[in-house]
Amino acid sequence: MQSPIRRYHSMSLARKDELIGYLFVAPQMLGFFVFVLGPILAIFLFSTQERNLLTGVVNPVELANFEYMLQSDRLFPKVLANSLIFTSGLVPLNIVLALILAMLLTRKLRGMIFFRTLFFAPVVTSAVAWAIVWRFLLQGDQGINQLLSGIGIDGPNWLREPGWAMASVIVTRVLKTVGLNMIIFMSAIQNLPREYDEAASVDGANFSQIFFRITLPQLAPTILVVLVLTVIGSLQVFDHILLMTNGGPANATAVLIYYIWFQAFKVFDIGYASALAVVLFVIVLTATIIQWALRRRFIYNEQ
Amino acid sequence: MRVPKGFFVSILCVFVLLMGVSVSAQDEPVTLRYTLWIAADSPQVALFNELAAEYNAQNPNVTVAFESIPFADYQSDVTLQLAGNNPPDAGWIVEGAARSWVESGVLADLAPALTADESYNLADFSESSLELWTEGDALYGVPFSTSPFLVLYNRDLFVEAGVHTPDELIGIDEWNWENFALTAKGIADNTDAYGFQSVDAALYTGNFWATLVPIMRGFGGDPWSADGTCQFNTPESVAGLQFVQDMMFTDQSMVPPGAEVDFYAGGAGMTIGQLSRVNRLADAEFEWSIAPLPQGTGGYEPVVGQAAMVVFNNSQNRDAAIDFVRFMTTEENVARIAQFFPPARESVLSSNAVIESNPLVPTDLMQSAVIEPIQVGRVMPSSSQFPRIELMVRPLLDEIWVEGADVQAVADSICDSISPLLAR
Repeated sequence: MQSPIRRYHSMSLARKDELIGYLFVAPQMLGFFVFVLGPILAIFLFSTQERNLLTGVVNPVELANFEYMLQSDRLFPKVLANSLIFTSGLVPLNIVLALILAMLLTRKLRGMIFFRTLFFAPVVTSAVAWAIVWRFLLQGDQGINQLLSGIGIDGPNWLREPGWAMASVIVTRVLKTVGLNMIIFMSAIQNLPREYDEAASVDGANFSQIFFRITLPQLAPTILVVLVLTVIGSLQVFDHILLMTNGGPANATAVLIYYIWFQAFKVFDIGYASALAVVLFVIVLTATIIQWALRRRFIYNEQ
Repeated sequence: MRVPKGFFVSILCVFVLLMGVSVSAQDEPVTLRYTLWIAADSPQVALFNELAAEYNAQNPNVTVAFESIPFADYQSDVTLQLAGNNPPDAGWIVEGAARSWVESGVLADLAPALTADESYNLADFSESSLELWTEGDALYGVPFSTSPFLVLYNRDLFVEAGVHTPDELIGIDEWNWENFALTAKGIADNTDAYGFQSVDAALYTGNFWATLVPIMRGFGGDPWSADGTCQFNTPESVAGLQFVQDMMFTDQSMVPPGAEVDFYAGGAGMTIGQLSRVNRLADAEFEWSIAPLPQGTGGYEPVVGQAAMVVFNNSQNRDAAIDFVRFMTTEENVARIAQFFPPARESVLSSNAVIESNPLVPTDLMQSAVIEPIQVGRVMPSSSQFPRIELMVRPLLDEIWVEGADVQAVADSICDSISPLLAR
């Protein structure tokens, strides 16, 4: 038997490099296997079991959890629809707003630092504090509605009327996270070559022509990344909803991730919660693949 | 003299053997992990630590570490610890979850140890107080807190509005839900505050049972019967729910959905709560007092919340944990914790320990609002399907908290959705 050290010395340089490379990524890979891949695989296994956290009962039930989900669970279609509404409201609003802010705040004007800080501040604010402050602002006849009544508008009971509650959680969540996307867009815009803009404006292009035909196409790779991250993030918004509405009123803001949490940690039905998590996983995966496939059509200068 | 090597070896062997025997004879030191949901720096935990120190003096091998988990996370955290095979040794369980815990089989039977100790006198606990925790001959929890729901009120707002206070109404035997609503309306109409706030302002987003059960029972209703029949839609229960809806929208005296108001900061004239909430009023900038729940149409129906001490079956130190729970709930120690937790022991309840235990509450109110309700009150409903039921009921209740909503129709659909669960 050769000792490991001898064996190492007798290796070719390329093999040595390879081995050292693996050693360097080993801590990260180990963490990935134990804390990411392991749980994901476990979820798939659990989703085919009747599994109760409290009693410790575990029984294989094959696809019974999915059958119940699709055939008998009256809440499942509701939370799925809520998740779709939440994401399709949050993502466009977030990206358009981030883009507008980034365009404005990359101008070289006085006081830009102040506004950049202002819009980025919510990102580093505690999610709990953010939700609670907004709950106070969005009361039935206090806060924002008091201001509105000052100009003769009778505002809705934001967090307690189903449609408005969903809109309120979306908008307050966008305001919380838009700063992050704004920063990503700003750094992308600042790295764009100025020559194209200048050439276009010499040729007589107006602002909107420059924006839609020159700037936007160059930003496409960044927009794709931001889009993918924002969609994934939007399907995982949990604490915000728990604190603002606790899923109410009448389940109007109960999204899929909230329902997973409820089944897992209130009902202790880990099997069913895992089946729901598998559905969420498939949705996120599909959304990401579609977006990735679309990049060929919209991105011209991918490196 | 030459001593043979074997001599030393045999001496050593005997020595080791003796050590082994002495270790196993003297109990190994254990630390019991005891979970609860009040803050670690609270006076309650300070008293518990004092009791644990006394227990340690009697049993030098046992120390107790109290571990505080916030109430909102308590159930899931303890469950996760059980699932992770790292159970606490002992802890608290609240009444709503009682049946699911008792039926899950993860709790240890305390009855053999408690009946074996004659001085413990298990019969001192009334049968009704043990009902939730009993299954056949087994007893899975010892209630340490039987806390009746009572009305807390802001006397300043009553004076400002010029309406009768609960104690005045009690004096003329007119303290009923009808007058409760009238005084609430008087406060809402004549002051900047609301008349009534739900228990911990949690009716719309949190624990709605605490507000609704006392009112539904006051009208002769109940969420479900002891044999698991849904009663949300009986005329009595509907009257209770209608009462709440009327206060909300017709009288506009109750804090409506979507308003952030705090009774404890002076935002409402009355709320319902338990004795433990009184401590939150110690520094209040208004005059306050407490009163028993109003008389209902079906008579006086006090409601009691309950929490019990339990031992987890998988605990490594099960016997030590059971003995510690026995120690914590002896007559003497129940009397000592009675200042915070109204006791279930009849002997303590009828002694002076409770009536004089809380410096913030005068003895006559302690008698009428705490001690009497414990003696005649019924515990909050429980079910092994509690979380599922809550999941079904909450969104439907949201439909009642809309102006003009048909309470009976919604109550019918509540029963439609929870009856299969109650039947399990």
